[in-house]
Amino acid sequence: MAYEQNLIRNFCIIAHIDHGKSTLADRMMELTETVSKRDMEEQLLDSMDIERERGITIKASAVRMFYHHTDGKCYMFNLIDTPGHVDFTYEVSRALAACEGAVLVVDATQGIEAQTLANVYLAVDNGLEVLPVINKVDLPSAEADRVADEIEEVIGIPAFDAPRISAKNGVNVEQVLARIVDAVPPPKGDAKAPLKALIFDCLYDNYKGALSYVRVFEGSVSAGMRIRSMATGNEFEVTEVGVFTPAFKPTESLEAGEVGYIAASIKSVEETKVGDTFTGADNPALQPLSGYKQVNSMVFCGIYPADGAHYDDLREALDKLKLNDASLRYEQETSAALGYGFRCGFLGLLHMEIICERLEREFDLDLVTTSPSVSYKVLTTDGEELTIDNPANLPPITEIDSMREPMVKASVMTPVEYIGPIMELCQSNRGEFVNMEYMDATRVSLHYILPLNEIIYDFFDSLKSRSRGYASFDYELSDYQKSELVRLDFLLNGEMCDALSTIVHKDRAYPKGRAVAEKLKEVIPRQQFEIAVQAAIGGKVIARETVKAVRKDVLAKCYGGDISRKKKLLEKQKEGKKRMRQVGSVSVPSDAFMSVLRING
Amino acid sequence: MSAIYIHIPYCLKKCLYCDFCSVPLDSSAEQYCGALKRELELRRAQYEFKAVETVFFGGGTPTVLPAWELTSVLDEIRKLYPLAPDAEISIECNPKTADFQSLCALKRAGFNRLSIGLQSADDHILSLIGRAHSFADYQSTLNAAKEAGFTNINVDVMHGLPLQKQEAYLDTLKIVCDADILHISAYSLILEEGTELKRLVKAGRLRLPDSDETADMQDAGMEYLKERGYIRYEVSNFSKQGYACRHNLTYWNNRPYLGFGVAAHSSLPNGRAWERFSNAESIKVYLKRIREGRLPTNETIRLNKAEQMFETVMLGLRKVEGINKKEFFDRFEVDIDEYFHEAIASVREQGWWEEDESFLRLNARGMDMQNAALLKFR
Repeated sequence: MAYEQNLIRNFCIIAHIDHGKSTLADRMMELTETVSKRDMEEQLLDSMDIERERGITIKASAVRMFYHHTDGKCYMFNLIDTPGHVDFTYEVSRALAACEGAVLVVDATQGIEAQTLANVYLAVDNGLEVLPVINKVDLPSAEADRVADEIEEVIGIPAFDAPRISAKNGVNVEQVLARIVDAVPPPKGDAKAPLKALIFDCLYDNYKGALSYVRVFEGSVSAGMRIRSMATGNEFEVTEVGVFTPAFKPTESLEAGEVGYIAASIKSVEETKVGDTFTGADNPALQPLSGYKQVNSMVFCGIYPADGAHYDDLREALDKLKLNDASLRYEQETSAALGYGFRCGFLGLLHMEIICERLEREFDLDLVTTSPSVSYKVLTTDGEELTIDNPANLPPITEIDSMREPMVKASVMTPVEYIGPIMELCQSNRGEFVNMEYMDATRVSLHYILPLNEIIYDFFDSLKSRSRGYASFDYELSDYQKSELVRLDFLLNGEMCDALSTIVHKDRAYPKGRAVAEKLKEVIPRQQFEIAVQAAIGGKVIARETVKAVRKDVLAKCYGGDISRKKKLLEKQKEGKKRMRQVGSVSVPSDAFMSVLRING
Repeated sequence: MSAIYIHIPYCLKKCLYCDFCSVPLDSSAEQYCGALKRELELRRAQYEFKAVETVFFGGGTPTVLPAWELTSVLDEIRKLYPLAPDAEISIECNPKTADFQSLCALKRAGFNRLSIGLQSADDHILSLIGRAHSFADYQSTLNAAKEAGFTNINVDVMHGLPLQKQEAYLDTLKIVCDADILHISAYSLILEEGTELKRLVKAGRLRLPDSDETADMQDAGMEYLKERGYIRYEVSNFSKQGYACRHNLTYWNNRPYLGFGVAAHSSLPNGRAWERFSNAESIKVYLKRIREGRLPTNETIRLNKAEQMFETVMLGLRKVEGINKKEFFDRFEVDIDEYFHEAIASVREQGWWEEDESFLRLNARGMDMQNAALLKFR
């Protein structure tokens, strides 16, 4: 029996990190008795360890709730959780597309942040009804009125009657539920039409294979039905459909307007791409739902095992992560310095950090990553255009006619007192000022065009430190622009260390070359001979440091018969040796590669 | 059995660089020598010995305890263990903890070698590293020791100390040499994990000479000692001809020794195997175990032949004369040249090796690069 569409509300929650999205979701689940308070794990929707620690949502998740409204009717709520970071904009947009409404949570002590605004615009673009909620009103520093004004001014939606809540203490959360019924429109889809189901997320399950999280717009889907991906044309037989309680719960069917999952013996999440439309193989729809696009990697780096013997473990780990993360790309690569590893592509720097952290934490691997790179367009003197995401593959200078680099449109929201330092930061990262908008008397939104390769290092950290954490940042890819780029190489005793090469703007090459050479001098331990550390551009040395030869490598004292102690020290030295990479005759500790990673001259 | 070590964990105060088992003198000291005597008894029942060639009272600072207590422990050793008539019996002392009277008592009881901790003749440096004495205190202790009849005296000195310059280090060596000291231990300061000194250096409150300055000091010091007629016989140990420390040679020759007292280490054969063990590291636990009549052994490691051979190399290469090939063969029935063929070839290739009919050894550069050389044997 299909649930009456009039009684269904599909919505998501938009909020900045720490503004209380997960807490609000938890309270909603409690109030609707979806999960008993006793069983409630704090912040149930964020299930990965890293999500909990960083307080952000990486993978979207969903839950179905039933709410008894004061009008006496029982409403089905489908809450779709969205990732809260700039790297995952596309995933967010698909999650939003699955909803008719969005609850906008704004922290009464902080106000609107750049990413929140970007997501609100996404929601509006997707035709969603936005329902503002002001959270943390119980805190002494709460300024609910000011924040309400800000919402009205900046976003242009009425907020005078926005529920003022404390998600943490459960204050006024009931109001939010009631408002969802009133403000968010019910879905309108023809249950008899051919199936159109939007994939807004996917997850790999060891038993069921890749599960597609879908919003059914038209038609219905049930076990036994053959479905077809409208992006790839691949067909599958549905083995199970179900809903999120939030645990997976099989149901007979999913009908137009509903949210749930489809299991169809799909081997990998690769085959169930976010944004794709499933339709019936026997009675296909003519047009897919709009908005599908292939997601491209923005940031690339090499990932190698710190101990070369663990290459197979690394591959296995990447294969496993890939099951759950269709946006992760990798292929085998070899580095003279680091041996066998993988060239990996990510949605952004956070995505890269999360993957590395998960590899180290969940798979217990020690990694070496090379400098992050973006993807450059190179026009050779032969008139050929190459796409280069690995500095090692850049042709010699003599064969390059010109190069282009990806640019982003960036917006930074900040309290006015930090405008100076932030403009300075953008300028020093080759930013091109576009304009500045006053959001109210105290806050502005700065717009810059910035090269992507300048923001993948420490831009975000610098921004936070220059604004004492108050500035927020959002960007989107704009286009490729011609730029004077060079490859900066590093040599150890004349031997090039490919893993350290980076592509930089020519004006940045000198300071960066010097800074990295200095750092290398610090982190490369003294060896039996002197080591020349050089930075070079196309064979021309621009900076040099020297690591002197080791003088003494001997334990002065063998303590009163404590031999095990000396042996332990030797073992430690031996372990350290294992983690060394050879660049010609020079041994470089794995950590050394990491330590120069974020130096941006 | 050839050596006995007695650990006395008490000091006037702990030096900032010390990570050894030592604590300021406290009330537990009253029971400590009694416990040592009980342990001597307990372990006597456990092992069979031929002759004890050397005894070493180390610490801490043994001489913070009354001389009569120390001599009573030595008496107990004599009673329970077959002490060789010509045994070398050493005791460590620090300035300010021993006077003419106590030193006489020790000498009379049979102690025939005294090791004095000076570290530096510069009072400012002494205070920076938390030593409890001045240079003048050292001189009076030394004079008292000589008057009491000690001739076989060692003095400990250090280089690489905070604010230390090469001249200051050489001054210290000169002062020691001028006093006709027969044995000098010259250590390079090691910044050990968990010490107060390490904390201060890390916090930037104290600056140590860099590794080049320290290496220069060490090299200059070795040169100077050679000029003054001292023979380097181990990485950090120098003596006049015939005055090498026999007790420490027991360690470096990987021969058996039995340690008593808190945190003391032992190494000796047990049947066909070889065992190393150490005692409880807390004084409280040590005393409690002894009170209950139990052995205070903490951890026992059984070593297979390969480990024993490696340790023999590891320790033997600390000696300037190196490893005696015949002794190695007699002990393990293995030809060292063959067994460690690859490692030796590799060390030789580095230019760190030297050998003759009877001995294998590291040359001077090899001695400096000892850890790197040893890794090849591992």
